[in-house]
Amino acid sequence: MNATRTAVSPIAWLIAPSALLFALFFFLPMGLMALISVLSGNPVVQPNVTFTAKFYTRMLSDSYYFEVIWTTIRIGLFTTLAALLIGYPLAHWMARIRGRTAYALLMMSVLTPMLTGIVVRTFAWMALLSDKGVINQTLTGIGLISKPLPLMYNEFSIVLGLTHIYIPYMVLTLVGVIGRIDERLEHAAQNLGASPLRAFFEVTLPLSLPGILAGSLLVFALAISAYVTPILMGGFQIMTLPMLIYQQISSSFNVGFAAALGMVLLAISLVLIVAYNRILGMISGQRDLQ
Amino acid sequence: MTIIRKPVNRRQFLAVAATAGAGVIAAPHVARAQAATLRITGWGGKWAQTMSTEVIPAFEKEFKCKVETDTAFPFLPKLQASSRSNPVYDVLHTNSNEQWAALEMGIVEAKIDAKQVPNIADVYPYAVSDKIVGVCIFTSAIGLGMRTDKGYGKVTSWKDLWDRAYDGVRGGYVIPVNSLGQAFLMMSGRLYGKGMTDLDAAYAAMEKLKPIKLADFTGTMEKMILSGEVGLAVIHDSGILRYDGQNQPTAFVAPSEGVLALEQVLTLTPGTKVRELANAYVNYMLSPGVQKILAESVWYSPANSKVKLDDRYNDKLLTTPAKVATLIQPDWKWYNAHKDEIDARVNRIFRA
Amino acid sequence: MTSAPLSLRFGRFCYLAFNIGVVVFLLAPIAIVFVFALNPTPYIQFPPVGVSMRWFEKFFASRDFMNALWFSLEVAALTTVAATLFGASAALALARGRLPGSRAITAIMLSPLMLPAILTGLALFQTYVLLDVGRPTWGLVLGHTLVSIPYVVRTTLAVLHNFDTRLEEAAQNLGAGALRTYFEVTLPLTKPGVMAGAVFAFIVSFDQFPISLFLVSPGHETLPITLFNYLKFDLDGTIGAASVVSIVLAVLVVIGLDRTVGLRSTAQL
Repeated sequence: MNATRTAVSPIAWLIAPSALLFALFFFLPMGLMALISVLSGNPVVQPNVTFTAKFYTRMLSDSYYFEVIWTTIRIGLFTTLAALLIGYPLAHWMARIRGRTAYALLMMSVLTPMLTGIVVRTFAWMALLSDKGVINQTLTGIGLISKPLPLMYNEFSIVLGLTHIYIPYMVLTLVGVIGRIDERLEHAAQNLGASPLRAFFEVTLPLSLPGILAGSLLVFALAISAYVTPILMGGFQIMTLPMLIYQQISSSFNVGFAAALGMVLLAISLVLIVAYNRILGMISGQRDLQ
Repeated sequence: MTIIRKPVNRRQFLAVAATAGAGVIAAPHVARAQAATLRITGWGGKWAQTMSTEVIPAFEKEFKCKVETDTAFPFLPKLQASSRSNPVYDVLHTNSNEQWAALEMGIVEAKIDAKQVPNIADVYPYAVSDKIVGVCIFTSAIGLGMRTDKGYGKVTSWKDLWDRAYDGVRGGYVIPVNSLGQAFLMMSGRLYGKGMTDLDAAYAAMEKLKPIKLADFTGTMEKMILSGEVGLAVIHDSGILRYDGQNQPTAFVAPSEGVLALEQVLTLTPGTKVRELANAYVNYMLSPGVQKILAESVWYSPANSKVKLDDRYNDKLLTTPAKVATLIQPDWKWYNAHKDEIDARVNRIFRA
Repeated sequence: MTSAPLSLRFGRFCYLAFNIGVVVFLLAPIAIVFVFALNPTPYIQFPPVGVSMRWFEKFFASRDFMNALWFSLEVAALTTVAATLFGASAALALARGRLPGSRAITAIMLSPLMLPAILTGLALFQTYVLLDVGRPTWGLVLGHTLVSIPYVVRTTLAVLHNFDTRLEEAAQNLGAGALRTYFEVTLPLTKPGVMAGAVFAFIVSFDQFPISLFLVSPGHETLPITLFNYLKFDLDGTIGAASVVSIVLAVLVVIGLDRTVGLRSTAQL
């Protein structure tokens, strides 16, 4: 820490446009939603609204809502875990691969699904997994099964669909972090007699922890707020918080309750962001000490 | 501008004229721009195609206006969030259950003024009954759709849907979001209990329907029947009939206990600035010519009793007073009052 | 290396096999989309019964789809520019501005990413009603911008944190002003991060669903919204054809990126 760091630099003013944008188009709208969640009606169109806690008491009074919240978090956790376990090796491969063409091909296979669109990708999974889809028709065709396997309309299919959609985010977060880890550190460990696996677990993995955390937080946040995939893959038999929010808005026209549910989702996200910052602080603190 | 029905005294008239005049002077471009645009809602798919190619252009030409159709769901929340005096739509087209919810929120008007919409005189009584907000322009019959190539037995009753033979190929709807599902829930109260409002009987019946494949929208159900993923399902006649003549192994069954009405309903918003045009649009949609075009394009039964459809359509749609009499109109006002309670219960029943 | 022990070679084999498996997993659904786009039946059917271009013809002949495609590209382009300007300058301020509480501000800048976008969409719609501005295209673009900024901030911050601040200090010691240092040292070095952010802003906007849901207006619908509404009425191969078109566009974008700025330096989050 040198003395010059304490004075605010003129560069700080560059935050101003974003600050204004966030104030007008993020805090104001979110504040409005928070307000609507404790009002008896919509203040924009109705006069004479009163404060009420009815939407929150409704949530507390029925265990169904807890189950929905827990289902949402569980799907988020499984998706994050799957994306990490599948995405890490790929990110590692990409970070270490030498050929430019090979790298470009891998990057293309990661970016193409990302650019394909959520509706379309989910449609593709439906085409693969439905009773008349590719997998079931193939298995029935070669006589392995007589009745279609229940591949869709369950939590498994939602997690599968979400993992496919969010792996690129995990991979792209990790590629940069792993790429910056000096390969010589791994070689040094191996030269000292460690197996490649042990070198990986003792050198590469700990050093990539910030990337793992960042990627996991990103994937988790995206997964718990996903809407299209849980609807199409879950066949409405699994209810998640965003689905319930949309149902309240679009079919029950109860914006107040939807806003209250939204505040719960917001709270979950905020707790995670704070926890993430704490853990990251701890990790970097440790590294500074070493 | 407006047709004056009640005698107005001179002072009132002058006040209105002065306000209108001031408005025109103050914002002439606004007045002109608004007078020329009618904002409506509408379905996607084939309906949208017929509307945008055949129906709307003629209306725009005749009334020298521009029609702006919102086909992106959900309609009601957008209308709900917009200010009462300046609504996002002038005419709301949606299903009957949503119209009742909209009326409850005060964002649509209860009735269409028959004096402004002369074609209302020709509609079947159900289209303006006390079960309808505004006016119903078309209706479909909700019954059962089935595959004819899978060797299933003869289907005549709603109760056949509960036959264990259809385990794995039974189709229904997500009740909280789909009006067919909601109407069907009420019907099962009637089938197995004391009537359309017997919720306990309906819940017990829903429990026995599992396993069932749920769709949120009829289009999805249509495709599930076509692909064979579903063998017997709740669906409106239009969803099966529109593949008429395409050699699909599917059939529509009107159950002996009666078919449920799936009404396409138009209402005006209280804050519309183009009331005259909105009424003209409703009248236009009810005119025999337009009714025929749309009925034959999407297989909806016309509400106007004077419409003569080609034989092919006439045979299968509800075009006579006798056929129309088989329609059961659900009490949506009652349903909406119980919606939260029903949603909470059925969400639990159908969860995996 | 040829004398590597068996276990090592086996490990290497597993590593490659697993990764190739992952790539197959990523690409399989994309391949399926091609099959369905070419299959003439108007519903999901496997194995396909033939090859036809009817869905492509329907897609390209449909005014709605074409309008939606162009509108989506337009919105995505505007969003990319806006999000990059806002996000990159904010990141610079956060990394070099010596702002008090910069950590908290960073968390706030990243938060639109973490919130349920459906709620953000409805909240924005409600706000536009409150401000009585209707449903303008700029409102949609700003909504997309808001959820794209976090990506730009992330990618730009990552680069700013990683490069040596001594380079900037050296420039200043040599007499360059803050502005000149910025344009001649900081900006060129930050470029990969900003470019990466721009790419993600484009992707996020082009594929944006929940924000658009409430903000699109008649005649101005984005492709995902049009596709989703179409799916409700017609689940036929047109969806597949639309997908193939966007996949081809996507691959072109990726190739273009590789040719111009290089993928290795840009495509990181």
